Amino acid sequence: MTGAGDRILGLGLLVLAVAYGWAAQQWPEPFGGAEGVGPETFPTILSVVLVAGSLYLMIKPDPDARWPVGKSALELAISVVVLVVYTMLLEPLGFVISTTLAVGTLSWRMGGTPLTAFMTGLISAVVVFVLFNYGLGLSLPGGLLEVN
Amino acid sequence: METLGFLMEGFAVALTPYNLMFALLGAFVGTLIGCLPGLGPANGVAIMIPLAFTLGLPPETAMILLTSVYAGAMYGGRISSILLNIPGDEPAMMTCLDGYPMAQKGRAADALAISAIASFTGGLIGTIGLIMLAPILAKFALTFGPAEYFALFMLAFATLGGITGKNPMKTVIAATLGIMISTVGIDIATGTQRYTFGVLELYEGIDFILAIVGLFAISELLFFVEARIGGGRKKMNVGKITLSFKELVSTIPTQFRGGVLGFIAGVLPGAGASLGSFISYTLEKQVLGKKGTFGEGDIRGVAAPEAGNNGASSGALVPMLTLGVPGSGTTAVLLAMLISLNITPGPLMFTQHADIVWGVIAALLIGNVLLLIINIPLVGFFVRLLSVPPMYLLPIVTMVAFVGVYSISHSTFDLYFMVAFGVGGYFLRKLEIPLVPIILGLLLGPEMEKNLGHALILSDGDWTVLWSSPLAIGFWAVAGLGLVLPTLVGPILRRRMHAAMKESPVSD
Repeated sequence: MTGAGDRILGLGLLVLAVAYGWAAQQWPEPFGGAEGVGPETFPTILSVVLVAGSLYLMIKPDPDARWPVGKSALELAISVVVLVVYTMLLEPLGFVISTTLAVGTLSWRMGGTPLTAFMTGLISAVVVFVLFNYGLGLSLPGGLLEVN
Repeated sequence: METLGFLMEGFAVALTPYNLMFALLGAFVGTLIGCLPGLGPANGVAIMIPLAFTLGLPPETAMILLTSVYAGAMYGGRISSILLNIPGDEPAMMTCLDGYPMAQKGRAADALAISAIASFTGGLIGTIGLIMLAPILAKFALTFGPAEYFALFMLAFATLGGITGKNPMKTVIAATLGIMISTVGIDIATGTQRYTFGVLELYEGIDFILAIVGLFAISELLFFVEARIGGGRKKMNVGKITLSFKELVSTIPTQFRGGVLGFIAGVLPGAGASLGSFISYTLEKQVLGKKGTFGEGDIRGVAAPEAGNNGASSGALVPMLTLGVPGSGTTAVLLAMLISLNITPGPLMFTQHADIVWGVIAALLIGNVLLLIINIPLVGFFVRLLSVPPMYLLPIVTMVAFVGVYSISHSTFDLYFMVAFGVGGYFLRKLEIPLVPIILGLLLGPEMEKNLGHALILSDGDWTVLWSSPLAIGFWAVAGLGLVLPTLVGPILRRRMHAAMKESPVSD
C-alpha cells in the first residue's frame, strides 16, 4: 500500500494529539479561579491543530520512503544500541574506556577495519579527555581509570 | 550617525584579543564544518552550543564564536561543490554548476579563490545591509503588541518551509510537535505542572539544546549508517592559482549583484540562502546571456551563487536579531544560544544588550576578513579534510556531541533523552517531516503562549484581538500565503532548480 508510512504516522499523531488535549482538560483550576486564559488554553489549541494535521496525513499521504530492510535495519539497530549502552557505561566505566568502545564499534560497523576503528576510538577518547579535563577544567568521569 | 557609534562600540567589543581569538577559532571550525561531509551548518552550530557553555564564555564571546562558525560554514560549503560536484550544504548547490567544470578544466584553485573572494563580497554586502536595516526594523518592532507578535510567530512558522518546501501540512505538523514539546514543564504563568508525569527532570521542561543536538547530530549519524557511505573520497589535487587580475575585476559587478540579491532573499521570510544563490545565479545568466559560458566553467557562475548565499546568510540574521524570529535552521540554532544565555531576543535586545548585538555584527565583519585570510592559504588543508572518511569522522562528532550535552548537566538522563530525540529525528526525516520547524516550535513555543495570554488578558478574553490591527492582519495574510504558495509555485520552482542542475553538461 502506498502512503502507509504517512498513514501510520498520522494515526500515531492523532492518538498523541487526543491524549495531549485530554490531559490538558484534567488539570486543576489554577489558584485564583479560572480566567480567560488558563494553562490549558494553549495546549488545547495545539491539540486541535495536530488532530487536523494528522487527519490530513491519513487522508492524503505522500508516497512512501524507502525503509531500510535486512542488513541496513540491523546496522541501524546496532548503532542505536551502541549509543544507549555508551550512555549506560559512561559513568561506571569512565569516559576513556566507554568512548573507545563506542566510537570503535560505530566506526567498525560503518566500514572501518577493526584495528583502525578502535585505534580511532582510543585516540579520540584520550585527546578529548585530556583536552576537557586539563585544558578546559571540566570533569569527565574517570571511571575504572580513576587514580585515587 | 547613531548607528556608526554603536558599530564602533561593537568593534571595541569584538576586537579585544580574547574575542578576536574566538572569532578566529569560530571561522576556522566553521569552514571545517562546512566542508566536512555529513556536518551541515545547523548541525555544526548545534554541537558548538554546549561546548560554548562548558567553556564558560561570557555571552558576547559565545555569540561571536557561534556567529563566526555560522559565517565560516557558508564559506566551507563551496569546497566540495567545486572539487567533487557534491554540495557541502544546500545553498552551495548552485556553485556546482560552474565550479565543478572549472575544476575539471584544471582550474580548481582559481574556482576556490574566486569563490572565497565572492563569499567575502557577499558577506560584506550582507553585513552592511544588516547594519543599515536592523536598527530601523528593531525600532519599528517596538510598536508591536502581543497580538502582532503572535501573528508574527504564525508567519514565521508558515513561511519556514520556504517557497520551495514540499508539503506545507508537514511543516504545520512539525511546528505543532515542537511547540507541544515546549509546553512540558511547569507553566510559568500559573505554576501548573504540565505533562511532567511526576518526573523531576521534566519540571523545568525539556532542554532544547539536547533536543537540537539529538535531532541533528544523532539522526545524521543514523542516516550515514543506513546509506553506508562510510568510505572516504579520493584525494584531490588543487593546482596553482592562475587567476588574473583582469578576470577578478570582471567579476566585480557579478559579485555585487549577487550579494544584494542574496541579502534580500535572506531577509525575506521563506526565501533563505538556497533561493538566494539560485536567484543570483539565474539572474547573472540572464544578464550576461550570450557573453558568458555558464555551465561550462564560467568564473562568474561561481562568483554569483557564492556572493548570493553569503549575502543571504547575513540577511537571515536581520529577522533573528530584530524580531527574535529566525528564518532558517541555522539562525534558529543561534537563537537557541541567545535564549539559553538568558537574553530575550527581539527589538529590546538592541537597547538592553547593545554590546552583544553590535559585538556580533562587528564580529561578522571581522569574521569575513578572517575567513578570506584563512581560506586562501589554508585551502589545501581543507581540501585534504574532504578525504577524511565519514566512518571515522561521524562517530567522533557524535562523541563530541555526547561530551557537550553531558558536560552541561553531568546527568546521563539528558543523554538518553538526546538519543531518543535522535531516533525520533531519524524517523521524522524518513517521513519527510522537516526538523527545523520542530526546533523553532521548541524555541518560540513559550513566547507564543506568553503573547497569546497577554493579548487575551488585554482584550478581556476577546479572541478577535488577534486579528484586529492592520499589521496583524498583514502578518496573517502573509502567513496564509506562505502555506498556500508552496503548493502552487513550489513544484515549478523546484523543477527549474532541478532543470538547472541537469542542464550542466558534466554533472553526473
